[in-house]
Amino acid sequence: MTKKKNRSMIQRRLIPTYIFLIFWAFISVFPFYWMITAATNNTVDVARGVISFGHDTVINFQNLLKSGQDGARLWDSLRNSFVYSIAQTLICLFICSLAGYGFELYHDKYKDRLFGILLLAMMVPQVATLVPLFTMMSKMGLLNSVGGFVLPAISTPFMIMMFRQNSRNFPPDIMEAARIDGLPEWKIFFKMYLPVQKSTYAAAGVICFMNSWNAYMWPKVVMADNRAQTMPMFIANMAAGYTVDYGMLMMGVLFCSIPTMIIFFVLQKQFAEGITGAVK
Amino acid sequence: METKKKGLTLAGKQLAAGWLFLTPATLLIFVMSFWPMIQAFLTSFKSGKGVNIHWADPLFVNYTRMLQDTMFIQAMKNTFLYLIIQVPIMLILAILLAQLLNNKDLKFKGFFRTCIFLPCATSLVSYSLIFKSMFATQGLFNTILVNLGILKENFNFLGTPWSAKLVIILALIWRWTGYNMVFYLAGLQNIEYSVYEAAKIDGANGWKTFWNITVPLLKPTIVMTFIMSINGTLQLFDESVNLTKGGPAGATMTMSHYIYNQSFGQGVGNFGYTSALCFVVFILVAILAVINLKVGDTRD
Amino acid sequence: MKKKLLSLVLVSAMATSMVACGSGAATTENGSTGSAPAATEGEAGGHKLTLWAWDESFNIPAMQAAAEDYKEVDPEFELEIITQSQSSDVENAITNAGQSGDFSNLADITLFQDHYFQQFCVNYPDAWVSVDDAGVDWNGLGAEKLSYSTVDGVHYGFPVDAGTAIMAYNTEYLAAAGYTLDDVQNITWDEFIEIGKKVKEATGKYLLCMDGSGNDFFYMMCQAEGVSQWKDGQPYVTENQTLVDIFTVQAKMAQEGVLYLANDWGDYTDQAIVGDMVAGVYNGNWIIPTIKKVESNAGKWEIVPAPTLTGKPGYASNGGSSLYITSNCQNTELAKAFLAYTFGGGSAADGTSLTYDNALLNGGVIGTCAAAAKSDVYQAGVDYFNGQAIYADIVAYTQNVPVIEQNDYHYTLREKLSNHLISVVNGEEDIDAALAAAEQETVFAMQE
Repeated sequence: MTKKKNRSMIQRRLIPTYIFLIFWAFISVFPFYWMITAATNNTVDVARGVISFGHDTVINFQNLLKSGQDGARLWDSLRNSFVYSIAQTLICLFICSLAGYGFELYHDKYKDRLFGILLLAMMVPQVATLVPLFTMMSKMGLLNSVGGFVLPAISTPFMIMMFRQNSRNFPPDIMEAARIDGLPEWKIFFKMYLPVQKSTYAAAGVICFMNSWNAYMWPKVVMADNRAQTMPMFIANMAAGYTVDYGMLMMGVLFCSIPTMIIFFVLQKQFAEGITGAVK
Repeated sequence: METKKKGLTLAGKQLAAGWLFLTPATLLIFVMSFWPMIQAFLTSFKSGKGVNIHWADPLFVNYTRMLQDTMFIQAMKNTFLYLIIQVPIMLILAILLAQLLNNKDLKFKGFFRTCIFLPCATSLVSYSLIFKSMFATQGLFNTILVNLGILKENFNFLGTPWSAKLVIILALIWRWTGYNMVFYLAGLQNIEYSVYEAAKIDGANGWKTFWNITVPLLKPTIVMTFIMSINGTLQLFDESVNLTKGGPAGATMTMSHYIYNQSFGQGVGNFGYTSALCFVVFILVAILAVINLKVGDTRD
Repeated sequence: MKKKLLSLVLVSAMATSMVACGSGAATTENGSTGSAPAATEGEAGGHKLTLWAWDESFNIPAMQAAAEDYKEVDPEFELEIITQSQSSDVENAITNAGQSGDFSNLADITLFQDHYFQQFCVNYPDAWVSVDDAGVDWNGLGAEKLSYSTVDGVHYGFPVDAGTAIMAYNTEYLAAAGYTLDDVQNITWDEFIEIGKKVKEATGKYLLCMDGSGNDFFYMMCQAEGVSQWKDGQPYVTENQTLVDIFTVQAKMAQEGVLYLANDWGDYTDQAIVGDMVAGVYNGNWIIPTIKKVESNAGKWEIVPAPTLTGKPGYASNGGSSLYITSNCQNTELAKAFLAYTFGGGSAADGTSLTYDNALLNGGVIGTCAAAAKSDVYQAGVDYFNGQAIYADIVAYTQNVPVIEQNDYHYTLREKLSNHLISVVNGEEDIDAALAAAEQETVFAMQE
């Protein structure tokens, strides 16, 4: 009886907390609501800021399917974005986890110093790298290829740092035990380390996929071919004419936002755990 | 003797393995980030455009030139204004939200967390379109304020220097608070609950607990988010381009946006000059990050 | 020491294997997406070309029309149009190609903004192909238009859209303030302001609007007076009484609520024009499709020449682009033949050109080819504009546009003047200081 009373009192004391959280959650979610309603309205209504549902969903969708040139329409762009983003995420996770593992579990002062230097790369302005990287890719014959898309993004100091932090949870005793059993170093990584770091991979994967999916500036430089076009490029093509069909555009934006959201929803528990490990 | 030799090779193997593991990532960063930066540094001593590029005379002309570049100085001021106002507000809000969400009696935690994180999963195009139309002269925000009687007539938010800056700051806070909150929330969950219990027994109130226990224990996370935010703000590009195009009259232009315009946005790029500007931004970010680390790092 | 040496050897061994492994992975990935480089199909003797253009509701239909037209000459002809999000995408691609010396990523043919071509041609000469020998009668294509695509007397481009300026009025809003279309013809800008004030009072609508961040009025209004903003390659601002007057007039219009200076391009088209905030639009004729978006205003709009400082009819041009062959084109003969036949006016020799007619019908693109303008499509009345034969009228305007001095830094000066006009309107600067600062900033930007 008293316990129940106590609980309701706690809840009552939390009312201001709830109000603030609901307020902030509302602000966070409102633009999504707007995006969905806009996809159901015609262009004039969207430009005028109508925020109720309209009747142009089907027309917007049909226009969206027709938009673009042959080989570079909605489904092509979606497929390309998936291919590039998944490739980038997988390679990035592999390379950066390997490095994070190496930096933390084999650390000595040389590696620590090297790590400090690598962190500097976070501060390199992207504009500065565009032309040199383009030159490099064209010399390697990687223009318009997945290789050209992912190479500059598969090794980032942030990802290495994340894996390095999470590797602190990995007990060195296990490594020693494995070594005594005669397991080679690379097998320790694959057999012992990788399976216990699932949530780290999930968290890093979510962030990496989001970055890759939404990337625009570099893909625009390196993917000149129509058929290599990504989803953000497809949307940008619709968004910057002399006249813009906003209903159709928002329908496209919706298609562009759904994959990242689904991935976040599916992996959010592991995501939270992975980040928790990273800030320990 | 025999065992010692074996031990050495084992240590050697381990050493080799350690270096081997971090080599791919390190090489990639050197080739994809540092090499372009070195090239930019060399280019910063050149002038002329396209095929007509040549060593500058005097060599430092691009660096002295920026001192007279009113647009760049304006962009620098804008960027630092964003930094000074937006970063602290955002991080304080993020800590506050994390603190509220870290209450074990709270219900619907997962729901709130998801909602608040959602903004940073949006694509840039959609988010900039949404903000632009909400703050348009005929947009939603104006309609609400006029109907409430706060404004007499529609106000041009994106066309007035101070309010355009404000919209950019609001947009940044909207987009990145949830992202930072996730890190704080994770940090808070690493703090043992018994620490708080002990504080309660000692009679510490909410604020005291927060300042004396939470903040010190969160310090590494705070330093990390600070560095990420400083870096993100000093290289701010997307919001300036997509929300305001740097306008009105350059009042919201950021340094990266200005550099981009000088390289790609307005005719044939002056790459010597922009390389010099890039280098200055790089140095600025690095200095601030080092200061941050020195202030934050009390461990060693 | 030994340890260090060992690690060094290992690092370099790893590096070599990484490179080998990296390139191996890249080729297989490349194969799996099936994406080929942009422009390798156009080998000599083939029938296929690639082309870059950037607006699916405007110039891309024009390109499709041209491809269709050329099939009459070469039934196997195929044109792959690659959509770019905006004109600057093409400029950036040329910049990247020019800086790296690798042009293999470019399309065979590209659309390019008129005002930018000269500087891209001078700084990246290896990107372009001369089309002097394409067998085109250049005289029929508009001298003012060709002045943008000709460098040192060598032709590089084929004109697409004219960019001839129109002054469009919503006659219903004019009528609400007691004016007819006759009242707004042959007037001075001062008279225009008086009319604008009445219209604002009666309807709440602005009589004029412009994108305040890229204000084209300075160029258009000067050109209508026959004056350039440039003199001997230098900005001609503070000493240029015409430009000073034009700046003053605009500041006054904005302060009196006659002119809406939009925050950016989207605000200009979507809020000001599509949002029905205005009773008048003054811009290149490519703005017409935007005006037509508001279906409820059909039949209410009409076009006339613009006001000037003196009251004579004002003729100007703004924007527009041309088609250029890039050095990556492997089949320049086909590209030249294709362009000469279509936008070069070859197919218009018999009085009608499918290219120009369909470009107009499907995209609203009005060409500069005099021979093509005699067709029925050009001469027809347009319902949205109260039955006025606007296309024929616009072609007639085109003949009157004065040729004035151009400069590579056209957009730089535009940006500076735009910014300082906003500062003046916001009361942060006086006009003399604003003009002096704009001129000085432009001179600064021109230093290399």
